[in-house]
Amino acid sequence: MSDVKEALDELRPVGETTQFIVIRLGEEQYGIDIKYIDNIVRMQHITRVPKVDDYLKGVINLRGEVIPVMSIRIKMGLEPDVETKSSRIIILKLEQQGTIGVIVDEVKEVVTLENERIEKVAYDSMDEKSNFLSGVGKSEGGLISLLDLNTVVLENV
Amino acid sequence: MDVSQYLEIFLDETNEHLQSLNTQILALEQDPENMDTINEIFRAAHSLKGMAGTMGYKRMQTLTHDMENVFSEVRNGNIKVNADMIDVLFQCLDALEEYNTTIRESSDEGTNDNSALIKRLNDIMNGGAEPETKEEAPAAKAADAPADGSALQGIKLNENQQSVLSEAIKEGKNVYGLTVRVQEACILKAARAFLVFKAIEETSEIIVSDPSSQDIEDEKFDLTFSLIIVSESELDGILAASRSVSEIEDVTGSVLKLEDVSAGGAPEEPSLAAEAPVQETPAPAVPETPAPAAPESEPAPAAAQPAAQNQAPAQTNAPAARKAPNKPVVNRTVRVDIEKLDTLMNLVSELIIAKNSLVSASAMSGNSSQAVNEQIEYLESVTTSLHESVMKVRMVPIESTVNKFPRMVRDLQKKLGKKMELYMSGEETELDRTVVDQIGDPLMHLLRNSADHGLESAEVRKERGKPEVGSIFLDAYQDGNNVVIEVRDDGNGIDTNAVKNKGIERGVITPEQGEAMSEKEIIGLLFNAGFSTAKVVSDVSGRGVGLDVVKSMIESLSGEVEVKSRLGEGSTWTIRLPLTLAIIQALMVEIGDEKYAIALGSIQTIEDILPGDVKLVQAKEVIQLRDLVIPLIRLNEILDVPSKKNPEDNLVVVVVKKGDKMAGLVVDELIGQQEIVIKSLGKYISKCKIISGATVLGDGEVALILDANALI
Repeated sequence: MSDVKEALDELRPVGETTQFIVIRLGEEQYGIDIKYIDNIVRMQHITRVPKVDDYLKGVINLRGEVIPVMSIRIKMGLEPDVETKSSRIIILKLEQQGTIGVIVDEVKEVVTLENERIEKVAYDSMDEKSNFLSGVGKSEGGLISLLDLNTVVLENV
Repeated sequence: MDVSQYLEIFLDETNEHLQSLNTQILALEQDPENMDTINEIFRAAHSLKGMAGTMGYKRMQTLTHDMENVFSEVRNGNIKVNADMIDVLFQCLDALEEYNTTIRESSDEGTNDNSALIKRLNDIMNGGAEPETKEEAPAAKAADAPADGSALQGIKLNENQQSVLSEAIKEGKNVYGLTVRVQEACILKAARAFLVFKAIEETSEIIVSDPSSQDIEDEKFDLTFSLIIVSESELDGILAASRSVSEIEDVTGSVLKLEDVSAGGAPEEPSLAAEAPVQETPAPAVPETPAPAAPESEPAPAAAQPAAQNQAPAQTNAPAARKAPNKPVVNRTVRVDIEKLDTLMNLVSELIIAKNSLVSASAMSGNSSQAVNEQIEYLESVTTSLHESVMKVRMVPIESTVNKFPRMVRDLQKKLGKKMELYMSGEETELDRTVVDQIGDPLMHLLRNSADHGLESAEVRKERGKPEVGSIFLDAYQDGNNVVIEVRDDGNGIDTNAVKNKGIERGVITPEQGEAMSEKEIIGLLFNAGFSTAKVVSDVSGRGVGLDVVKSMIESLSGEVEVKSRLGEGSTWTIRLPLTLAIIQALMVEIGDEKYAIALGSIQTIEDILPGDVKLVQAKEVIQLRDLVIPLIRLNEILDVPSKKNPEDNLVVVVVKKGDKMAGLVVDELIGQQEIVIKSLGKYISKCKIISGATVLGDGEVALILDANALI
């Protein structure tokens, strides 16, 4: 089987590829571009910071550095996070906002997508979530919504 | 030759030289005859020229060369310093500064020849009578002079020492002048000198030495030093005793008489002319003009000759060697990249966090032995001193920043057509390097503000009976854990009515609000964005983007700024900055389940208050503390945490102070004092004004630092 796949891969024109980490939020799967990911850590005590937007859960200590942590769920208007054994904090390094942790329900796998298999999503005013997506990727595991991190972490004004 | 690796050093040093030139030329404007200043300028221009030449910056070299020429003429007395010349020189400095900036940006000096400036410099030169031929003359003269200069001249006696000597002579004791010459090969000069001192002290009393005993101890002398001693024994015995010290080449001495001791006339500068052969030290005040030679009647004994020779090369060497000898020898320094210091500071921070973890781990385990506790205490004291030392290394005097202000005020004076004078004090006050670098702009703004808005024109000042020349003061001093910088002027002060009207006009406040506002609140309006009361917008003091920027810049350095003003008398702007930004002593408190840190520096007292002692004033809770009424702030309400305490329990109140305002912060429990490392929350969480940062505790958890200033 894998031989066949390899053979097929070779036949395909080799295009640019991007790697994504697939995470789970509730029932849905999302992809985060691996180049923004600095680290993935287990859930730990988050020190609450008063008087900030509710999606900002607080700060954690990551090897001596103080890093803010936010909830994608609250930011995207989903149910608040429920901490389970599989919950993780993904530490993102972004150009503008610096280092930020985001809470996810589970980290599943790493996928490599060819850029031509990523489709842009049209902005849908009815679906609040579509704001936060940069595209949809097709992989063997099905469709993966790709998160547009800059909108996800953008501060609410 | 590849010189690119020296670029950083070149730029740094050029900056230093330019700064020194700026300062010196300003000084020259005040005192055009001062030879020291002229020499200093010549020296700086010369070094600049040399450096620019080495780096291959031809244009910069040409300009500095011509500047140097002008100074060489001034030094020779061929041209007099005048206002026009000072102006040209300042323009030259600006041009050099421009080269420097261009080089910093592109490592190339650009193509601006500044030929107009060079022409003006040459005009000045040609205005001067004689060409350069005489240049070497004074140097040579200065070199020759010391050889026949009078001997013990270098030793300055204060009145006290003089009277001791006269007294001793009257009592029939002998006063000797001694010159000790150490062998050239001697390695531990200071130690030998000490032995000589000891040998002499067995029989005599040393009244004064040149250089001072401290300098001798620090080896800050050449090969000879001189002493004046009082003794009852014979000179020969003393000489023999001191010659017996090994590695001493020779000791010569002679008897001093009463006239010698009291010679020198003027009490401010009593110098001792004597027969004794002593190392010649150029008179401190004016190195170029050799000290008036005393009568050469006495034969100059052998030792004087080598001593003079020793001096001579130093004199001819370079203008650099002609610094006034009374200036302290420059400390040995190492240039260190600020980034390396940052790394060091971070490591110290890590160490302190590790130490805190150790402390809490040892407390947790419960069975810690005496020995462990002792070692932990030792570790604590070491980390604290380590932190202090690293901080001190990072501290630099604010001088480097404030030194450009006199020049700026001078320029402003011309631009605004007002007469003003800047008085500075406390330039030596030290602050963290990063703070010093960033404090320049806010200070400049405040000074410009004072010059433009504060000071009245000369006519108005005259009418008001003030001196025509306005004064601006810049005072810096350390106050506990803070450094205070004050910008003060004797101008008009802040017209609160004008500010109020402006505020209403701009829609910042409503007329009703305006009525209700206190004078302090109105002055506070000045720090609002988009607020300028200057009737004419000038390029001197912005368009009202000034003061709010000043405020936010100072707040970003964890400082604060305050204004006090009296209409017609002037205003005072007070900037208060913390000494350190990175590591502080803090009080840890508990509110609900959360831990917070409060900087110890802002805490006044901690009080235990009965619930019944809390009074209501204007529906706000207050407590009375030794005649002071202090508003209470219930932190659990502000921080949205449920308090663990019952309402009938006593309140734990941490009294904090900001300027002259106080407030009582109600907490659940006190945990204790701790040294904490301040970490930024990052710009992502910048909305929370009452939290100034976070810190990592010993157990790895993060605690937030409450900003007492923002709470008040």
